[in-house]
Amino acid sequence: MRALLVAIALVVAVGPAYAQDDAPELQRMRFIERDQNLTVTTNISKLFDSAAYEGLQSGFPSTIVIATAVYPRDGSDPVTVGKEVRTIVYDLWDEQYVIRIEGAGGRKTKKVKYRAEALKILTAIEDLPIARLADIPFEDIFYLRLTVQLNPVSKETLAEVRRWLSQGTGGGLDRGGVFFGSFVSVFVNPKIADADRVLRIRSQPFYRPKP
Amino acid sequence: MRYVTGVRGILVLVLALLVSSSAQADELVPDDEFGPVLLIEAIEIHGNTATQEEIIRRALPIAPGDILHASDKRLRNARFKVLALGYFRDVNVAMRKGSQRGNVIIQIDVVERGTVVLNKLWFGRTPVSPYWLGVDVGERNLLGLGIALGGGFIYAASGGVEGDRNQWAGEIRLADGSLLGSRWGAQGSLTLVHGSEVYRVQGGEDDTEITNFRAFPYRRFGGRFAATYDLTALARLGITGRIENVDTELPAAPTQVLPDGRIAAIDLHLEPGESRIVTAGLTFDRDTRSDPILPHAGGRLTASFEVGSSALASDYDFATLFARYEHWWPLREERHTIGLRLAGGVVTGYAPRFDRIYIGDINRMLTPRPLGLVLSNAAPIDVLSTRGDKPSYGDLGGIATVEYAAQLFRGPGKKRVYGGDLFIGAGIWGLAERDDYRLRDTGFWNALPVDLYMDAGLRIDTDVGIFELTIANALGRLR
Repeated sequence: MRALLVAIALVVAVGPAYAQDDAPELQRMRFIERDQNLTVTTNISKLFDSAAYEGLQSGFPSTIVIATAVYPRDGSDPVTVGKEVRTIVYDLWDEQYVIRIEGAGGRKTKKVKYRAEALKILTAIEDLPIARLADIPFEDIFYLRLTVQLNPVSKETLAEVRRWLSQGTGGGLDRGGVFFGSFVSVFVNPKIADADRVLRIRSQPFYRPKP
Repeated sequence: MRYVTGVRGILVLVLALLVSSSAQADELVPDDEFGPVLLIEAIEIHGNTATQEEIIRRALPIAPGDILHASDKRLRNARFKVLALGYFRDVNVAMRKGSQRGNVIIQIDVVERGTVVLNKLWFGRTPVSPYWLGVDVGERNLLGLGIALGGGFIYAASGGVEGDRNQWAGEIRLADGSLLGSRWGAQGSLTLVHGSEVYRVQGGEDDTEITNFRAFPYRRFGGRFAATYDLTALARLGITGRIENVDTELPAAPTQVLPDGRIAAIDLHLEPGESRIVTAGLTFDRDTRSDPILPHAGGRLTASFEVGSSALASDYDFATLFARYEHWWPLREERHTIGLRLAGGVVTGYAPRFDRIYIGDINRMLTPRPLGLVLSNAAPIDVLSTRGDKPSYGDLGGIATVEYAAQLFRGPGKKRVYGGDLFIGAGIWGLAERDDYRLRDTGFWNALPVDLYMDAGLRIDTDVGIFELTIANALGRLR
């Protein structure tokens, strides 16, 4: 029983400390009221390293998912969330990049000649609607959190890829232990990441001044 | 008639699960496609030295001659379909221009990895066996054919119980999850057990002195065969068959002196001499966990129905139904999780001893039975002060646990460590014999063969395996 209490204490003490590992990086952003929406302007160029940049001309599609969430300064539940998906493919024969952007503002398709241009479009966030103004009361303080994933893998695909880990070489005569046993034992264990890269950033606190 | 009803119930369950699985959709990507229309002229595969090229081609969702948009989901999934084989450390995909406008040649570069795996290590000591040691290994890609070959062997020294002997068991298994790239798979195994079963002849439940026990020798030799069918990428149905020969030297009329002095006959649930077990069965497995090692979301359901009958030339007429369900609910962006695990089984008819539910199967604080060998005579820890003489084998058993896990850390695996979780779990387990309630001379609660299960510890996920440092694991190796 003492060991159990020690374990509980460890979970309580150590868990929150390590939870800080995924803490978002602070990045200054610009917020503007446009029509009935609050929009943000910033960039996510840190998402791409050289390998990801090279991958744009592979001919295979690359996808960026930008998830937005506006939080009250002292709250843990977002007041509004949104998502934008940007997909790029390289047309080998016409030697151009085709980019499709889908989000709250509808669907747009752009074509550009050079990879650097494509990267700029993919990583620039300009006047992206993040909330309806009605959801952001005057004088209340908020911050925006962005979670940006490059080539995210759906949970279903991830489960399919990792499924082989839990599949052994079939079962023997005895089935009882198989059903009641707690965990598979695998001693070779390659990991597939949830996404090629993930960028977590948060804005400086902001508020809407009364007109 | 009872069996027919059971089969019908399982089929209904399977259909219900299929409906629910088809309702899930990938929400990350748009459904419609865009970009240039491509004709796949050829697919080139590089980097495979051990794995046959055909195995990789079968796994791909695309083939030469296919016409699709550049954004097609099949292109996005191609890399993961190859990774899902489990034979490669990394897979890179690219394309280049083909021989005429619109044609492309797909290039797939794979980096192979070792496919010999150490599945299990068994070791420990108990009063019944001063030491036991065993290993289970596998080769997941035999001769590059995509066939899995595995096997295990365990040796347990005799602990001096009257009638026992040194025990050993060996098993060899062969499996192909996808015959010729189809949804059909096949599995087979052969097992040989040279064992001795311990049973109590006197003393109370907590008295594990070996003079209170006797043992009888037995030999089991048999095989299990299965044909599997992948209903979806995450669900698999199997049809199984088993033929087994049991040879045992049973005591003439085994009895137990109860603590109150009465003498009771013991049913060892085996035919004396040679007997045969022949069964047919059905299995189902659906696994949606995003990570089977440190799951923080998703779930898994497995079920197995098996029937042995004289109509199949079996000496035992019985049926078993085992099911296991677990589900994980993520908390705080999956840094924490609450998991529910339910596992249970029911055995009806005259089932052989080895097909009945063993207490170590359901209570991880006791020694499990690797390859079917019983290695401990320890009684379960009595927490709830329920029925004192809990049975070692039962017809109806199960465990329900709730587990809380907190993410300690996650890493990219650069230092060979992917992550670690601290966890604590508790639940109720129970194991009953059919007669427990028919003939009882005590109150319901006191006759109830249930008790508490608790475990806590650390799980570390590394590229050489999962390491569990837990209280139950330690108890299971020493008691």
